[in-house]
Order: sequence, then C-alpha cells, then structure tokens
Amino acid sequence: MEYGPPPLFNQGVSARARLAFFSFLAVLLIVIDARVNALDTIRVGVGVMLYPIQRALLWPRDALVQAGRYVTTVQNLTRDNERLRESAAEHAARLLQDDQLRLENARLRQLQGLRERIGVKTQMVQVLYEPRDRFTHKLVIDHGSSDGVRAGNPVIDEQGVVGQVTRVFPMVSEVTVVTEREQSIPVEVVRNGLRCIAFGGAEPGTLELRFLAANADLSSGDAVVTSGLDGLYPPGLPVGTIARVERDVKDQFARVIVNPTGGVDANSVLVVLQVTAAPLPAPPREDGRGEHPGRRSTRR
Amino acid sequence: MRLWRLRRAGGETAAATPAALQRGQPHKQVLRPVSPLFIWVTLAAGLALDLLPWGRTPLVPDFLALALVFWNIHQPRRVGMAAAFLFGLLTDVHDGALFGEHALAYTLLSYGAISLHRRILWFPVLSQSLYVLPLLLVAQLASAAVRLWVGGASANWWVGLTESAVGALMWPLVNWILFAPQRRPISRDETRPI
Repeated sequence: MEYGPPPLFNQGVSARARLAFFSFLAVLLIVIDARVNALDTIRVGVGVMLYPIQRALLWPRDALVQAGRYVTTVQNLTRDNERLRESAAEHAARLLQDDQLRLENARLRQLQGLRERIGVKTQMVQVLYEPRDRFTHKLVIDHGSSDGVRAGNPVIDEQGVVGQVTRVFPMVSEVTVVTEREQSIPVEVVRNGLRCIAFGGAEPGTLELRFLAANADLSSGDAVVTSGLDGLYPPGLPVGTIARVERDVKDQFARVIVNPTGGVDANSVLVVLQVTAAPLPAPPREDGRGEHPGRRSTRR
Repeated sequence: MRLWRLRRAGGETAAATPAALQRGQPHKQVLRPVSPLFIWVTLAAGLALDLLPWGRTPLVPDFLALALVFWNIHQPRRVGMAAAFLFGLLTDVHDGALFGEHALAYTLLSYGAISLHRRILWFPVLSQSLYVLPLLLVAQLASAAVRLWVGGASANWWVGLTESAVGALMWPLVNWILFAPQRRPISRDETRPI
C-alpha cells in the first residue's frame, strides 16, 4: 500500500469532493423540484425573505417612472385625453348593446332553466418585474396568496389572455405567459366553433394549435377564444388570431401559428381572474363502464 | 502569510512564459489584507444588481457570477463552493427557475475558478478575462443543460453568449472595483516594517 506525503498545508476537503457534494445536492434539488414539487415550502420561505429586498430594489425604477410621469407635457395629456374620449364614445354604444344583450341572455337562460354562469371575482394586479430567466417568459405580479391569488388562475389584460399564475408566494406570484411552451389553453375558433388546444409556439412570442387535421377549416385572421372546457378559463376570452396555417403534405396535422392578442410583452396592469376550479370529473374507466357522460356534466 | 499576498500590478503585457517568470516582476505592490465584511458586502451587491428589474434587457451580465469568480480566484479559502451554492439558491427563487439550477451553475463556476486560480493569477488582468469567459460560459451551459434535461425550454444561445462576453469584458472593471480597498495606500507610518 502506498502512502503519499502528508499535505503541507491542510486545505480541508478537496475541491473535487466539494464539487461532487454540491453538484449532487443541486441535481437532487432540481429533480425533486421538477418531478415531485416537494420544495415549495422552502421556496416560499426564501421568497418571503427575499421579498423586502426585491421591493427595495424596485424602488429606484419606480421612482424614475414616477418622475417621468410627473413631467409629462400638457400636449401628451391632451392627446391621451382626446384618445380616451374617442374610445369611450366608441365603447359606449357597444356597452349599451352589451347591457341589453346580457339582460336578454339572462332572461333566455332563466327560460331554459340553465344555471347562471357564476361571475368571476377579478383582481387588478401590477407587474413588478420580469425575471431575468432566458429560458422561460414569466412575469412577477404584486399580489400573492394573501390576496387570494391561487396557482392556476388565469391572467388577462384588456385585450385578451396573458397567462396563468403558476406559482404563488404570500406577497407576490409568478405568471407564466401563454406563449410559453409548457402552457396550454383549450380554445375554439370563433368562426366555426372548432375546438382545439393552444400551446406555446416554437417561435418565440407565438402560440400553436396542435393536433388539428391537415384539412381543418382554418384560415389566417380567424379569432381564437377560450372554450372554457377546462373549468379554469372562462369561455370567450380572446386568446389570439391565426397568423398563418401551414399545411404540409408530409404531416397529417396542420401547423397553425397564432399571434396572441393579450400583450404578453409590455404590460404593467393585469387582471387576475380568481376562478375556483371545479374539480374535474373522474375520467371514464378503461373497460367502458364509466359513468354516463350526462350525469358527469350535471354533477359539475 | 496569506493575508499579505504579493501581487503583480495589472496592465503588464508579458505572457507567463518561464522567461517572464525569470525576468522578475517590475511592479510589486503589497496589498492590504482583505476585509471579510467587504467580500460579503460585494457578493450581496452582486446579488442586488442581479435582482434589479432588468427584465429582458440584453447584454446585462450576471454580476453575482462575476463577483463570485473574483473572490474564488483571489480568496479561494474564504469564498468557496458553499457560498456559490447558497447564492445560486437565492437567484433561483428570484428568477422563478428550478430550485437548484443556478446553484449547480454557480457551483461549477466556483469549482472552475478555484481550480484555475493559481494559473489565472499569473496573467495580467486583460488576459485573465480570457479565462473568465469560458468559466461564465460553463455556468450558462450548465443551466441550459438543466433546462433541456427537464424539458419545456427553448434556449436562446446568443443571449447567453453575449451576456458572458460582456461579463468577461467587464472583468478589468470588476478587478479595479473589488481590489480598490486593498490597494489603498498604507497610512504613512515611518516605524512600520513594510
């Protein structure tokens, strides 16, 4: 057995052993976080610790923005005022019509004995910052679980769906935007009611409708809205417009690229829809003796 | 002894050939001992700079990584992989990344810096940035690899490359700032031995 000379300067555990230890720990954490979601309490703890620092560091930017706002010229203000007045006048007609339609709808629903669609509680939130993550596009908003925001709540702006709350801290929460690859929304095409699922697109900043037959009746310019089938997104929220449809002979599916309507890039004020997700019905059993579909839908 | 390390003043163009070693170092400056408080304050400042709302602004380097590399090279016995790991966890929470992703990246970064620190110190500051660039790239690659492994990420390679390049270009500046307190002229004191 060979013995090396004793180390002249004791440096503690060797660098390689440390590397092995910490890398193993990191990989372990990654696996646990990605597969089991068991680390959320630790994450929330660290997040609460970081929160005051984060807020303090947002202060300089907010102060700059405030100062910029303070010195906006009269010209800007008058222009904005003009524009707002125009859009108010434009919307007024539509609102009146909307009121009438809603009344009519309520009456018809009563007639049909359908349940009233439950009004969704909404909450206005502000985007605090965008994390510097190059791989996923997220937004951090200034309301968290203490304000009733829950993971899974849809987030919209005045134009359409922006994303979904994916992680909740006590004071802040993370919103993953719809154009992220892991995000998916059940949607339908307004023109013909074709139902499908929109996923985040391969190109940055777009969505993709997957698993649609190559001869599906779609054309660019079609509006895509949520279908509400998942019980999370209320039906009818605008998601995007079809930018182009690529039909390749080799593929049996059409490749449909959708541009999002909601401003996923530049937004400071968003609305969180505090939907309480109805528990999904149990999937039908494999042997075909599942519950009757009609009964399932009434139970929801 | 390690507190009073000798160090060549930067800006020299000599390569680390044996000839250069024999020629002797024309400018030697005795550095003052580093204060541990300063180390941790600068690391925290690096983290704070990373926490600023940069959003998707391009070309913003990872300040925390730069500070970590600097202290790993110059004070490897004080700032080691444990610090890198813990700072990585904090970054993970702020970025909403996977728990452990930046921790792994910074651990690798720290290991690279610590194992290269004797060699890097032979070079003038500008050449040191050529060593710092691959270190930063390794950290970027590590987090990209984690994302690809876990899935659901579309990596934008150019962003990582440019960020690392800007970080490496900032290395002389980082050196200047983080060495400033150690370079302070010693107060005039005739009775002092050095």
